[in-house]
Amino acid sequence: MNTRHACITGCGVVSPLGLGLDAFDEALFGGQSAVRAEELQLPGAAPTRVPLARCAFDEGQVQAPSKVPLDRGSAMALAAAAAATRQAAWEPGVTDPERVGIFWGSGMGGAASFDATCRGLYAEARRIRPTSVVTAMPNAPLAELALRYGARGSALGYACACASAAVAIGEALRALRDGRLDLAIVGGSDALLSPGVIGAWQAMRVLAPVNGPADGDGRLACRPFAADRAGFALGEGAAALVLETEAHARARGAIWNVQLSGYASNCDGMHITQPDPSGQARAMHAALRDAGLTPGDIGHVNAHGTATAAGDAAEAESLRRVFGSAPPAVTATKSAVGHLLGAGGAVEFVATLRALHRRMVPPTAHAAALDAGFEIDLVRGSARVLPRLNHALSNSFAFGGTNAVLVASRVD
Amino acid sequence: MKPTTLEAVTELLATKFDVPREKVQPQAELQSLGLDSLSLMEFVFAIEDHFSLRIPEDRLDPRQAQLTVADLCRALEECQASAAGLATAA
Repeated sequence: MNTRHACITGCGVVSPLGLGLDAFDEALFGGQSAVRAEELQLPGAAPTRVPLARCAFDEGQVQAPSKVPLDRGSAMALAAAAAATRQAAWEPGVTDPERVGIFWGSGMGGAASFDATCRGLYAEARRIRPTSVVTAMPNAPLAELALRYGARGSALGYACACASAAVAIGEALRALRDGRLDLAIVGGSDALLSPGVIGAWQAMRVLAPVNGPADGDGRLACRPFAADRAGFALGEGAAALVLETEAHARARGAIWNVQLSGYASNCDGMHITQPDPSGQARAMHAALRDAGLTPGDIGHVNAHGTATAAGDAAEAESLRRVFGSAPPAVTATKSAVGHLLGAGGAVEFVATLRALHRRMVPPTAHAAALDAGFEIDLVRGSARVLPRLNHALSNSFAFGGTNAVLVASRVD
Repeated sequence: MKPTTLEAVTELLATKFDVPREKVQPQAELQSLGLDSLSLMEFVFAIEDHFSLRIPEDRLDPRQAQLTVADLCRALEECQASAAGLATAA
């Protein structure tokens, strides 16, 4: 009989705030932002400044298990998973390969690699490489992970825009509960900071402008839940977790202090981009039921918090509907790392786990006045200690209407 | 076949495609080097880039059976010679 929860025995992160958990932790809880203004120059358009959060990551240091040229996102996925499995003290061979699965999220897959291929073809008449497809396909990261870890149970990719990684993590929980797997390597990656992809987001008018002095050369451009919020910064990165059934984790003597307690996903089914507070609230309630918890048990929410006018208004409203007059401490990690698109749910879930582990909520990285219409308790300025923090939510709400909510708990 | 061509082919196979140097002999068939068809195509792209030329597909298809390292080297040298000829004519 499997337990409802999954043990989280390892986690690894490649983020604009730093490579590795220690650097990520220090910058995140210190309230730092990795967002910077950069000039975007597209053919036929005037140069414009855009807010980006890049990782100091060299993909050339990562060996592809397939020997195929790696998309930067796939290389980040391999690096994050290497850190996670190291922390879990797990390697292939410990577990029956048919009981090991990969569950991975990515919003746009190898779009940046494909952008480079097309640029080479159209602008420079360069040949298309024979490996272009397998480098850029959306399941490239999870295929490389399955090769690296010899996973034969399943290797499944999820493309639900900004909820991709959260959905991947949650669906792995279901597979473990169902007894289909003993261990899963889960998470998400996206490295999409190529001119064509940045330009596509810029054209949508969702990137924060970075012209004013209030933007701190981009550092303060993304201001979730502020009255003057104006959009997000594009980030890149990856995060990976090792999830196990408790029986499997115990049998191999693994150590863990946080667990994945619940998950739910649903869909607004209303609009391609406009979020619906009732869909989000339904997802939060369903995730709490799945974890056997009530709103009063939740001490902290890592918000989706994109800092768009409509996105934050919908989320503030859905939080009010779920938590009423007793709002938990909310933080919005995108102010610090940017919007990691399909990887966001994984990196933000790692932030949630760190908050649980430290019983401390990292601050949202801006100090602008909050929207007076929002009844949320947003942590800003400095990290807040919560001595009785035991359970937390991580929200991911996507274009296309997919809502995904993960519930994590301390194990004491 | 010039020794420099063979050296370049050997170097690339060893450093980028994990092929042991001792396997790269002139009479060795390309298909015996342990590369799958995709890697073989990537290798031919890489060696063409190294010499800044393109081998016409009707001259040499690397997937062709019994094609040897020496065959590849000769094709590279022919393309180099014809490119040099064109440059002189221009």
